[in-house]
Amino acid sequence: MQRSRIFGPVGAVWFLLTLAAIVYATRLGLLLAPTEATMGNVARILYYHVPHSMLSLVFPYINFAASLFYLYWRRRDPLKALTADAVAIAGAEVTVVYGSICLLTGMLWGRVAWGIWWTWDARLTSMLLLWLLYVSYMMLRKLSATGQTHTLAAVLSVFAAIDVPIVYMSIRWWRTQHPAPVFGGGDESGLDASMWPAFAWNIVAWALWGVLLLGMRYALERRRQEREQEAALQAIEASLEMAQ
Amino acid sequence: MNFSWMFGSSMEARHLLYAYVAVWAIQGGYAGWVLYQWLRAGRQSRTVSHTDNH
Amino acid sequence: MSYLGHVMVHLRKDLRLEWRSRDAINGMLFFALLVVVVFSLAFDPTAAMSRQIAGGILWVALLFASIIALNQAWTREQRNRVLETQRMAPAPPSALFLGKAIANLIFVAIVEAILAPLFAVFYNLHIIGQGWLLVAVMPLGTWALVCNGTFFAALGLRTRNRELLLPLILFPISIPALLGMMQATTAILSGEFDPGPWIRLLIGYNVAFTAACLLLFETVLNAE
Repeated sequence: MQRSRIFGPVGAVWFLLTLAAIVYATRLGLLLAPTEATMGNVARILYYHVPHSMLSLVFPYINFAASLFYLYWRRRDPLKALTADAVAIAGAEVTVVYGSICLLTGMLWGRVAWGIWWTWDARLTSMLLLWLLYVSYMMLRKLSATGQTHTLAAVLSVFAAIDVPIVYMSIRWWRTQHPAPVFGGGDESGLDASMWPAFAWNIVAWALWGVLLLGMRYALERRRQEREQEAALQAIEASLEMAQ
Repeated sequence: MNFSWMFGSSMEARHLLYAYVAVWAIQGGYAGWVLYQWLRAGRQSRTVSHTDNH
Repeated sequence: MSYLGHVMVHLRKDLRLEWRSRDAINGMLFFALLVVVVFSLAFDPTAAMSRQIAGGILWVALLFASIIALNQAWTREQRNRVLETQRMAPAPPSALFLGKAIANLIFVAIVEAILAPLFAVFYNLHIIGQGWLLVAVMPLGTWALVCNGTFFAALGLRTRNRELLLPLILFPISIPALLGMMQATTAILSGEFDPGPWIRLLIGYNVAFTAACLLLFETVLNAE
């Protein structure tokens, strides 16, 4: 198992670096960054909320790319295809995790800043729809018949990837035609220079963490795949023995 | 480092705390789950067959 | 036989089979009617308000009704081992998909044609905007639902809990199209805003997803 020999130390180093980055970024955001003028301390939620939102738009593309590779390698190189499939499921799950956090922190922030838990504004609605898309991907993986799962999920991933830009466009048009209160209108624009370090470090830290999660989930999926292959091989060997 | 504002129980401080704790819980929880499943898959004996869809 | 020839063969077969029992159409029609009645009890709209919500209710009713038809869209093929045969035949698989999708389009269109006047009666609807645009919106919206729906129904063919899976994967993907068809219909009924962008959205959505369905159907058929 040469792979785990490389994964081990690299993974450990990455984990420590990531943890250090998260602690540092959290300290910056929670304690050292200046208090926001209009919103007060609760705006510190945004140091977690915004990086998670940005990152949750990146992982779907990892899932999409992996699914395309899977479909390409499916008949040409099945072993490589399995690798791609493992990356695909990892990307989908991490998308759901980051999306959930984005929605949850957004709601908590909105509760304090606006007094309401939710509003159907462009960003929140689009994020909710993205979340729904990838949860439906995971439902398909769970409910589909073994042997077909990988291919069907890859196909759904292609559909989801086509849908994501359409969702964002259409929800934005919807809210342009029918304006409604917007949560956190300008929290990316008009950012005071003194708050940049906290934002930047949080983006870096949570990106590192996301890669770590991807790697861990990928390793888990590969392990499960190996178990399946072993079990299949055993079943074949057993049937051969019986034939003798 | 100014910690004092955290010890008021204003709605601001509480929701800020909930948010940060929730993020740590979700991220840590997911990582923990993956790690747990990985260890379980490693410990599974060779004769156990894996029939769940995933 | 040309591609179109194959499509016509499948289309005629589906139409003929459905015409003999008319199960799907009757079921869809009654179900859509029930949904409309339930919504009326839920909201009890005035004439002005009904123009705002009728578009949404109509498409929700059609969405639920199509799920009923789509759930059993491929059972006949499954029962008669058509899909295995298709793998051996030289005919392009996407022609089978296209024929079936067009057939489903026709069934849902029949349901719409019967439902629409009923709708106008129940909600006292007078069209304030450009009514003729509905002739564009209805088929576009229906195709968006039926095309993806027929495809995803095939996705779930050998799945356990097949009936559960279809709405779970169809609805999230269809939301932009649903938004488009509901907004366009409301715009036309109320005349308060421009349906143009929504109709363009529906056209773009249909082009993108019809292409995806045609290209990927063979992959789904040979998923093992």
